[in-house]
This record gives sequence, C-alpha cells and structure tokens, in this order.
Amino acid sequence: MAVISSSSVAGRQHPPIRPRRLSGRIPERLLFGVIGFVGVLVLWEISVRLGLLKSSLISSPTGVIAAAITDFGNGAIQPHIGTSFLEWLVGFAAALVIAIPLGFALGSFRRAEFVVDPLLAALYATPTVALVPLIILLFGVGIQSKFAVVFLEAWVTLTVSTINGVQAADKRWLDIAQSFRASKWLTFRSVTVPSSIPFIITGIRIAAGRALVGVVVAEFIASNVGLGFYISVNGSFLNASRVMLGILLIGGFGIFVGEIIRRIERRFEAWRPAIN
Amino acid sequence: MLTGGLALSAKEIRMEYRDRQTRQELVAIEKMDLDIPEGQFVTIVGPSGCGKSTFAKIVNGLLPATHGTIEVRKAANGRDHAMVFQDSSLFPWYSVLSNVAYGLVCQGVSKKEANERAMPLIRLVGLDGFEQKYPYQLSGGMQQRANLARALTVDPELLIMDEPFAALDAQTRELMQAELLRIWSTSKKTVLFITHQIDEAIFLSDRVVVMSARPGRIIADIAIDLPRPRELRVKRTPEFVAYEEKIWNLISIQLTSVGGRTGEAA
Repeated sequence: MAVISSSSVAGRQHPPIRPRRLSGRIPERLLFGVIGFVGVLVLWEISVRLGLLKSSLISSPTGVIAAAITDFGNGAIQPHIGTSFLEWLVGFAAALVIAIPLGFALGSFRRAEFVVDPLLAALYATPTVALVPLIILLFGVGIQSKFAVVFLEAWVTLTVSTINGVQAADKRWLDIAQSFRASKWLTFRSVTVPSSIPFIITGIRIAAGRALVGVVVAEFIASNVGLGFYISVNGSFLNASRVMLGILLIGGFGIFVGEIIRRIERRFEAWRPAIN
Repeated sequence: MLTGGLALSAKEIRMEYRDRQTRQELVAIEKMDLDIPEGQFVTIVGPSGCGKSTFAKIVNGLLPATHGTIEVRKAANGRDHAMVFQDSSLFPWYSVLSNVAYGLVCQGVSKKEANERAMPLIRLVGLDGFEQKYPYQLSGGMQQRANLARALTVDPELLIMDEPFAALDAQTRELMQAELLRIWSTSKKTVLFITHQIDEAIFLSDRVVVMSARPGRIIADIAIDLPRPRELRVKRTPEFVAYEEKIWNLISIQLTSVGGRTGEAA
C-alpha cells in the first residue's frame, strides 16, 4: 500500500503509459492472460486423456463442460449461484458502507484509533472461520449468518486501509490547506479523501476477495444452498466435475469483480498516471 | 498595528526545535528582525539549513515561532498573505483551474464564482488553454505558474515564495524569473522571496537579506539599485556581478565557518 501511495504522491510524474497493443485491438495483457488460461485447460485435458491424471479425482475440462450443460440446463445450479452472490453482495456492501466511514473517523481522531487499533489487529489476526460457530449461535444457520461471516471477512481490511490512507495524507498538502486557511471539513474533502483513495481501493480489492472466502467458508460449515454447499456436497459424492465447476465459477466471479474494481480505480484517478 | 506603510514586520523571531532522533534542542533561527515596506520585493538568501524556509513558514503561520512577533498588514478585501510553495505542491487530484481557485474556495467563495475569478489569473500566468489539465500533464515550469496563480487569486497583501523555482532546470528558472517580474509589475504585491540562488535574489529584488548559517540571523541587508523593468541581460552587467560577488563573499564566509558541512540538507 505504501508503494502505491508514494508513487502517486511524491514520485516524479510521467504521462500515462498506454498498454502496447497487438493487432491493433486486443491488449497484450488480455491476450497473454487468455493464452495462459487456455494453455492450462489444454494441458489438463491432455493429461487426463493420457492417463497422467485421474479424471475421477480432478475431472477434465470436457467433463466440467458436460456438468455445466447438465446443471445449467435443468436449473439445478442457478439457486446456488444466486444465493452465493446475494451473500457476497450484502456482506460486502455492508462492509463498504460501515468500514470506510469508520476508517475515516478513526484515521482523523488519533486517540480513537489508539483505542481501536489493538482490537482491529486482534480481529484481523483471528481467522474468521474460528468465529463461524459463534456467528451461527448468534444468527442461526440461515442466510443472516452468511451475511455476517462475509461482512466480518471484509470489513477489517477496509477499515485498516482507510485509516492508513487518512494518515498517509502528505504533510505538504495539509500545509497548503492550512496556508489557505481551509476549514477542517474542506481540508478533509480536498486533501484527506482524495489522497486516501489509492489506499481505499487497495482495501476494496482485498476485501472483495476476502468476502468471497467468507461466502465459501460459511457455506462449507452450515448450509443447504450456495456454491460452497454445491462444492462440498458434490465432493462427498465424489463428483469431481461438479466440484471443479463450482470452483471455476467462484474463481471466475473473483476475476470479474477484480476487473470491475480495476475500472473504478481508473475512473477515480484521472489525475494519477497509469502505473503498469 | 503596522505603521509607516509596512506590509510585514517581524520582530525578534526565534525558532527552536527538538531533534527527534538526537533529542537535542536546536536553534534554527537565533534572532530575526525584518521590516518590509508595502510593494517591496525582498529576498532572503542564505546557505542550506539556515532557517530561511522556516522563517517563511513562520510568516505564513504554518509554524509557531518560539519567540517574537509577526505582523502582516491586514488586507482590505483579499487575504493578508499567501504562499507559493516549492515544487509539485499542486493537488494532483485537481485540475489546474480547481487548484488555482482553491484559495477562494477556502474563503467560502462558491465553486462557480471561484472558478470565474481564477480565470484572469490563469491568463496572467500564461496558462490559458491548460485550465482543465491535471498537474502531471504540465511541465515543472507550468506547474509553478499555476502555483503562483493559486497564491495570487486570493489577492494577498504579502506574497511569500519559498524557493519556488528550485526544482526547475536552469533555463526554465531564468524564464520564470523574468515572468515573475512581469507578473509582479502588473500586481505590485509585496513579496517575500526565499532562495539559495544569489543571482535569482539580485535579479528579482529591491532588497536582498543575507542570512548566516544555522542558527540563522541576518548578517546583511543590501538594497539592489538596478533599474526596473529588468531584463535577463542585466545579469551580465558589472553592477550585477558586483552585487553577486559581495553576497557570495558574505555567504562563503558562512560556509567555511561551519567547517565544510555545506553539503547538509536543510
């Protein structure tokens, strides 16, 4: 996080670097990314066909596709996807709404931060899995406990990175605000918030991933619907193709969210030259 | 109250601070008295670390002096003083226009009116057409033009400039010096300029105040009697060179007296 801030804050500023493009249309980054992904799939399929890997244990790309056609076709998997997505969305959105303002408040008032810091550190260090039984006691086995687990996974990271962002606001810019006698509120809006955005976006990126971990963990432990449940129940029935399908769907969703965050980041930071 | 047409009166300024690592009490400024009459361009020069930037920050109200008083003439409409900071001090998340309008927004002027009032200053410093650009899209010289416009927008009685051209390359710096004189001649602000460049000090100023090495104090106050308007070629006249020699001698004595610690940063 510190690296991001120092390059945006203090570094000599360069014009944006455009990613080089092949064939005029497809960015190199995407092209090579797809090549890597497809390469692994091909390797996987070949290994299974040659008998190097057991398809009963790790399935194969064609096996996964067959499972997808069946389960999407008869509508068996859609409720699992919908439930997991809802759990992720509610828990993560609650974390955004609560953690970012909390981070700004704690970052702005040092004493409050001193009080909360050890608690945050303890919460951050405790694997959320360890809290799941407690959460189930509090919220039951229904979807509410899933929201809670996802929220818990996501919010600490977000709060901590927002606090870091607030505290990393460069003295030089605070001096300028003070020199022009900006009010506290204007200083907050014109210096603190913009200079913490890179930190917050990093926090959002990490929190989005952790929230996804929360979805799967909560569903593994106690649920009867959701992709985590789908994976675990098919695992116990030794149905490797469906397990792999569930894993790929979650992974794909993670990539998708990451890409959305990357786009938001670009929009927010017209002022920051692209760093690649 | 300030009398006799003074824009700034600093009396017996003393600045001490505690070094965080060594926990030693250090004296940055021993004692400084400085009066600047309205409309005068005064430059403080001195070796690195002599406390000249610290003095600018004290006048600007960013640092409280340990002892002494600062009086700045109260402005009728605008601000009493405004500061042009060292390089890359524009907010990178604001366009040039928003940066220049910032001082007015700080005074509670509406965003729209602030932008309207910023435009003439953007034109004055020669940045029209660049108002929607972000700082990283500007050269160092252009950034410092915007920095100057930002300070001028609040119409200050006293303009404090803390080594504004230090990070520019030699040619751009010369150009900016000439530009500053052009802009100054239209606005006739009182200026307190801080630099370690002797030729810059002489070229710009009515008066050059020379500071000693730390602990800083004033060791000379030299009136620069060169006709205005000045052009860059004045730097090659014998009078100019004589001033340069005089000030250089004053500073070089300071440098040798601290035993070759001249490489130290401020």
